[in-house]
Order: sequence, then C-alpha cells, then structure tokens
Amino acid sequence: MITKPHLEEAMYRAMALAATNMPPDVRAALERVLEEETEPLARQHLQVSLDNADLAAKGEGLVCADTGFPMFFVKAGAQTRIEDGFGAVNECAARATARATADCLLRPTMVDPFTRANPGDNVGNGMPKVELVFEGDGDGLEVIAAPKGGGSEIFGTFYRMLFPADGVAGVKKFVVECIRDACYAGKICPPAIIGVGVGGTADLCMALAKKAALLRRVGFHHSDPALAVLEDELTNAARSLGIGPMGARGVNAVLAVHIATAATHTAALPVAFNAQCLVGRRWKAILDGSGHATFTGEI
Amino acid sequence: MKDIKLPLSAAAARDLTLGEQVTVSGLLFTGRSRFHIRAIEDNIFPPIEYSALNCFFHVGPVMRQKKDGSWEVVSCEPTSSIRFERYGADVVRKFNIRVLIGKTTMGHRTAEALRDVGGVYLSKIGVSGNALRSQIKKIHGVHFLEELGKTEATWVFEVERFGPFFVAIDAQGHNYFEKLNADVEKALPEVERTLGIPVGYDYTGVNADE
Repeated sequence: MITKPHLEEAMYRAMALAATNMPPDVRAALERVLEEETEPLARQHLQVSLDNADLAAKGEGLVCADTGFPMFFVKAGAQTRIEDGFGAVNECAARATARATADCLLRPTMVDPFTRANPGDNVGNGMPKVELVFEGDGDGLEVIAAPKGGGSEIFGTFYRMLFPADGVAGVKKFVVECIRDACYAGKICPPAIIGVGVGGTADLCMALAKKAALLRRVGFHHSDPALAVLEDELTNAARSLGIGPMGARGVNAVLAVHIATAATHTAALPVAFNAQCLVGRRWKAILDGSGHATFTGEI
Repeated sequence: MKDIKLPLSAAAARDLTLGEQVTVSGLLFTGRSRFHIRAIEDNIFPPIEYSALNCFFHVGPVMRQKKDGSWEVVSCEPTSSIRFERYGADVVRKFNIRVLIGKTTMGHRTAEALRDVGGVYLSKIGVSGNALRSQIKKIHGVHFLEELGKTEATWVFEVERFGPFFVAIDAQGHNYFEKLNADVEKALPEVERTLGIPVGYDYTGVNADE
C-alpha cells in the first residue's frame, strides 16, 4: 500500500527536481549541438542556457523561471494499491503542486482562462494535469513530473486533419510548416524536441505528440524502421531551414523529431504537433509497493 | 560591450546597431499581458515616473517574500514579447518607452512606434534567468500585486550591467528575425524537394472553392 503522504512527497520531490535539474539526455543533446553550431549568437544561446541549468542545480535559481504548466504522468501496475484509491493521485498532485509553488520552485502561473484570476498555487480546474495509465503486473508506481514551459506549449501546438489522399507528403509539409512557425524568433525556445502524433482521434493524436515530445529519451527512434527513417528525414529538413538555437541563425532548431501513431478512421489522417523546449524538464519518481521512492533524471 | 544607462535618450538609442550586444544599467519596470491590456483598454497603469523609467522588461519574475516582508528574485526569464503585439505600439507611444526587453521579437507596428520615439527592442540570449537575477541590485517597489499576483504585477528593479541582450529591432525599425525569416523562405523549396513534397502541393480542400 502506498500512503497519501508518501505519494504527495514523491510528487513534490519529482517536481522540485524537474524545476532545478536539466535531464541528462537533454543536456547531452545540447552539448552535442553546441559542438556543431558555428554562429556566435547560436553558440551563446546554448552556452548561457547550460550555465543557467548549472546555477539551478547548485540551488541558485531554476532551470527556467517559466515553470509553465504543471503535469504529472503516472503509471501504475495491476497490483498497485493506494490509500483511499486511485482518486488520491489527483489530490496528492494538487497538494504537491501547491507546495512546490509556495516554495518558489514553481511560479504561480495557472489562471482562470476567462477571469484571469490567479489563485497563486497553480491549482485549478484540471490543473495540475495528471495522466494515469496502467501497465504491467507490479505493485509500484512511476511518476514523471513535467513542468512544461509556456513558450513550447503556447507556440508549439498545432493540429490538422489531413486525409488519406494527402499522403505522407501532407504529414511532412505540415510538420515543416509547424517547425518554421514555432521556431520563428525563438518562440518555443529551440533547440526543441518535436513530438508528432499521427492517427487516433483529435485528443489522442495530440496526447501522442505531447508524450513523444516530453517522455521519450531525446533522439530515441520509433521501433518501426520506416517511421525511424521519417523521424530522421524531418530532423534533417529542420536542419536545412537555417534556423538555430533560440531562433537565431544556425542549424539546430530541432534536437529530434519523435513520431507516435495510433489506429485511426479509414477516412482520416490526423496529425498533431507538440514541442518541448530546450530545457526539456522532467524528473521521475519510482515508488515501490510500500511507498519508498527513488528519483532519476533518466527516462 | 556597451552598457546602456537608463533612462535611454533617443540619440543613444539611434546609435545602437542591429545585432549588437548590450547590457543595461539603471531603473526598469516589468509587465506582461495584463499590463498591456489594462493600460490601453482601461487606462489603468502603475503610477510611475515614466520619463525616468523608459525601459519596459517583459517578464513574470519568480519572487520570494522573506520573513521581514521584503522581496527577493528567485529567477527571472524574459517572456515572449510577440504576444503583446496588439498593444505594443500604443504602449511604446503612451509611455515614451525607449527600451523594450523580452524574448522573441515584436511586429511591424511596434517597430514603427520604436522608430518614432527613438527606441530599441532587446531580445534575450539563452535561458538566463538565474544570471539576470544576480544583476538585479534592488527592488524599488511593486504595483498591483494584490489584483494581479506576483507574476503579472509590475515590479520596479534597479539593475547593473543587466544582460547581455541583443538588439533585435533597432531604432530605424529593422528586425533581426524578419531578415532571417526571409532567408528561411528562400531555403524552403529545396527543403520540400528533398522531402519529396511535389511542387505546388496543397492539402485536400473540403470547402467551397474561394
């Protein structure tokens, strides 16, 4: 049995670690592109961002002050038991988010969409966003805290219903248009990780894109070789646009393109685009069946 | 690197060149969407001496209140200025702003307003909120904290060698990103050809032809 205090504490710590540490795979990808970029401004954008993350890890600030949309991706096993049932996951997520905000690890950013009223704790209708899925036979729980920056979500979200006759060419055209739009003047804080969802319903399609951008190790290819080739083709297309870090002149506006698919209607070819910014914040808590938690930046 | 003394004069603004990197020193004030909307739609704005404070920093800083009631900056990352384009020109003219600091860029109308008043737009370099925090020497005050909360409130900061930033819109109205975008436009046909997208390709239309 995982108690609510254990779960809340694990969610709080995962969010705190996400806010103050750059994941190792993201850092490695940024260091790799820093080696490659030759334009001074592009290089400076990258070096400054890496230095900023170092300061955050030393307790001198945050990986990015726009701590964005608070999200938790939770995975449970068939034997997982939580005090008061799985509804407690939402309750613990809200409390963990409010605590992280009170401790200035998250900025109070979530507001009512119409009145714009800010409760000051990042908790509101549907926020923090919690996704709960069941996988495997275990009794533990995996929690990924992902404070997703506003820039990447606000300027890096697109959806289009294509049709079968539009073909792969349509998917490619759409993704390149989105990359160009999203990276203009550094709106999504490139170099970005691009999630592309193809298929499903509109909401499933976007969820695929989002999870491909946020939860996959940077550059980890789709298991289908044809889609892995398409991921590389789209990454190379982005490299040829002439846009680099933070929208400056350069090569690497995109660290990787991650594609995810779902079955869809025979009449439809839905495509969703969701970007993750260069700091790529996410941190994982792994709880065993007794609620003991370990934390990792690996994914 | 040039350090801009605030408040900036129109003559000094016109001396800055596109792409040049600068720091700023002196007093500035902060704001985001709510500042812009309220100032123009409702004529509600902080009671600041705008002739002495002509640098507007687009940001929602992370602020911590200490036990004695005073404030400290945890981190402050410039926010995307292009979101404010609807009101940007009117705000520049209304308060005679000569320095805008933010992320991304602004559009034609704001660039024209900056040209008319003699002002520049400075864009951030990298994610730098923790370094910027250490360059804020004093918090002079906060306006509309109760109504707007810590993030959208207007803070008045005294900064020293704050930055660096780069001149993304100069006082002649030139825009670094628009020039770059024109080059991207030129690169696009070859990118599409490499991807195998047929020349003149368009998505299937499902509405009446225009």
